[in-house]
Amino acid sequence: MPNVRKRGAGYKLQQIARNPFLYGMAVPGLLFFLIFSYFPIYGILIAFKNYDFSKGITGSEWVGFRNFNYFFTSDDFWIILRNTLLLNVLFIVFTTLAAVLIALMFNEIRNKYFKRISQSLIFLPYFMSWIVIGMLVQSFLGGESPPVNAWIQNLGFEPVNWMFESALWPWILTIIRVWQGAGYLSIIFLAAITGISEDLYEAARIDGASKMQIMLRITLPLLVPTISIMTLLSVGRIFNGDFAMIYAIIGDNSLLYPTTDVIDTFVFRSMRQLHDFGMSSAVGLFQSVMGLIFVIIANAVTRKMSKESALF
Amino acid sequence: MKQTLSDRLFSIFAYAVLILFTLFCILPFLLMVIGSFTEESELIVNGYTLFPKAFSIDAYKALLHSDALYNGYGITIIITVAGTITALCISAMLAYSLANKRNVLQTPFLLFCYLPMLFSGGIIPFYIVVSQWLHLQNTIWALILPLLCQPFLVFLLVSFFRTVPEELEEAARIDGANEMRVFFQIILPISKPILASVGLFYALYYWNDWYMGLMFIDNEKLFPLQLILRRMVSNMEAAKNLIPASAAISTVAPTYGVRMATTVLTIGPIILLYPMLQKYFVKGLTVGAVKG
Repeated sequence: MPNVRKRGAGYKLQQIARNPFLYGMAVPGLLFFLIFSYFPIYGILIAFKNYDFSKGITGSEWVGFRNFNYFFTSDDFWIILRNTLLLNVLFIVFTTLAAVLIALMFNEIRNKYFKRISQSLIFLPYFMSWIVIGMLVQSFLGGESPPVNAWIQNLGFEPVNWMFESALWPWILTIIRVWQGAGYLSIIFLAAITGISEDLYEAARIDGASKMQIMLRITLPLLVPTISIMTLLSVGRIFNGDFAMIYAIIGDNSLLYPTTDVIDTFVFRSMRQLHDFGMSSAVGLFQSVMGLIFVIIANAVTRKMSKESALF
Repeated sequence: MKQTLSDRLFSIFAYAVLILFTLFCILPFLLMVIGSFTEESELIVNGYTLFPKAFSIDAYKALLHSDALYNGYGITIIITVAGTITALCISAMLAYSLANKRNVLQTPFLLFCYLPMLFSGGIIPFYIVVSQWLHLQNTIWALILPLLCQPFLVFLLVSFFRTVPEELEEAARIDGANEMRVFFQIILPISKPILASVGLFYALYYWNDWYMGLMFIDNEKLFPLQLILRRMVSNMEAAKNLIPASAAISTVAPTYGVRMATTVLTIGPIILLYPMLQKYFVKGLTVGAVKG
């Protein structure tokens, strides 16, 4: 152990001078964060300004909280906030449920080949870009006579005009989300299950427990901490609307905005189409602050449950 | 061991759930691949089926003449290769420095990399920094630079480097190796598995990215594959425009088929490499999941 008393500013400088390479190695990475993460934080000032491209951030005039007032009093605000939160809750709940079920079922399977092949295949959607997924959705539900309609008509149901029915989309997006993410999450849960001590299973089997009982009394309870942590992590991101997913699938279909427009897509649109930089940054700032508050709360809760798993 | 009836039913249930979910995951891909090989007229009449009556490779023939697609491939390959190599170097060096116990600035450095995960300026200030300050719009740099350092992957590397025994480094230093040699000759060679998985994650980010292109690229010559595909999602006509008129193959322009074929070609490399890569991803994920 290095001597604690020596750790003054002089000692540090001396250490840095002695190992220039050790500190130099960090420079490109730190520069990256400085430019692409910290410079934009300075740009938050735009939220309080009437941003003018030609004058830049410092040159534009201050307008106080006008941009915020504008947004908070608009009808859009409540719709977007509701959509963002509702979609995230649906995504978190259903992806977690599906992933837990899959992980538990995998744990019951002894056939190595089936396990390996099935695992590879359910992991596959996670590797696709949202654009590819958007294209798949478009191919199945879009166009004048969507293929999915042919199927449901064969089953004796009425055809649906998917691209007009905004009420259906929270569920469609949830299904897509489960399709894309549940396999990935189940692998994390499966890794946690692998960590459960074999002794517990041994003891249960000797006591004559059935597979079902073992799953419900041992595997599931011991998986709960991992489930809670993964859930809390997602809760911390609940204000982020997952722009990549929603924009790739919904795009500029304004008929579906009532249920699918989230904070991120709203900000993007007001930037690209309305060029309202002031209000868009105010919305972005609101999102960041709320996100930060949620991360801190989620972390505090995680810390209470398991100190090891907390983020900070 | 003898299985009871309830255990056997339970096993059947487990298989059923997994088979159904696996089919659910894989069917859209199958339909898409088969759709890309189906004759256009049948696609229009019957939609996508697993067993088409009329087989055709017109869509792929048409795409052979598409300069835009070749161009998109070129851009995507350039950004994926250049981006992944650079990103991996920067991230590994940063992570090594962050993980090193002798780094007296460890805590401030870690904090500096960690804060952006919690709080960001949002996309407007980000857009202004990239386009107005750095003037990267409509350059290939806009597709490479903003993705160079993913905090999640850096921390994955940090947690790996922390597991490297200190004695290894110390022994090398006593033998007179300087920091650079320790890093390149001792640390990097034993880190191959984690470097492979982090590299694969970066490659995947670059291959699949379209967000940067959407924000900063208007010049069609710089469109990566994903952006070409995105155009076709929102606009049916875009599929026709991809094919030069001189290359018309059949009387029906294979618009649906071209959309499917382009999608297949876009994900092609991932699907082909996937069986080999998958175990690295799982390994990388499990390392990260143990303590992220």
